[in-house]
Amino acid sequence: MPTESLTNEVRLLRFLAQDMTQAELGRRVGLTRQTIAAIEQGRYSPSLEVAFRIADVFGKRLDEVFHWNPDGTAAPDRER
Amino acid sequence: MSPLEKRAWLTLWSQCPPYLVYFLIQGVWPNWLATFQQRIACLAVVAGVHAIAYVTGLLWMKRQERGEPLLLDERDRAIDGRATRTAYFVMLTGMIVVGVVMPFSDSGWKLTNTALLAIVLAETVRYALIVAGYRRTPRLAH
Repeated sequence: MPTESLTNEVRLLRFLAQDMTQAELGRRVGLTRQTIAAIEQGRYSPSLEVAFRIADVFGKRLDEVFHWNPDGTAAPDRER
Repeated sequence: MSPLEKRAWLTLWSQCPPYLVYFLIQGVWPNWLATFQQRIACLAVVAGVHAIAYVTGLLWMKRQERGEPLLLDERDRAIDGRATRTAYFVMLTGMIVVGVVMPFSDSGWKLTNTALLAIVLAETVRYALIVAGYRRTPRLAH
């Protein structure tokens, strides 16, 4: 049975955005701090609308923040 | 801890102990409460203990939250929705037993207590699934 996973760069992008707190990111996209933590830990996949909002906060494209790995492998290294 | 998870814990802790005692009395010593007044009084005490424990916990929680409004986001709503859907079927099954099956063989307090058990079970399942949703869900999609 294939394993699929959605990974993201939210934690790294928060760090690069002058160490933005989870609460601050949550306030800006309309989520609680707990949900931001769950997204970072891969325990929750946000709706498409929220995913776009998160990408927008960091000024990135959606695929620069969230990565879809159809076979469950780690996301390929990207130029940052 | 999410406000919804806190309220779920509060409901479980305030509801389960008193109703567990109530159903133990009704199940193990059914003749201990002989008259209608005694049975009603027992039910009133249990419901009262539940209500007092819940309201006290809620007031304490509100004080801790310093009057902030209860904000639920899409994850909270997804967890609550899944838990409520499952609890609905528990309630539905209980009501079918009480309203469709039992009237042919039982009556009176047995019907009342089974209906009450179905309600308490459905509520317990709902809040237990909410707690589990925050703690154990490996990947909950929106």
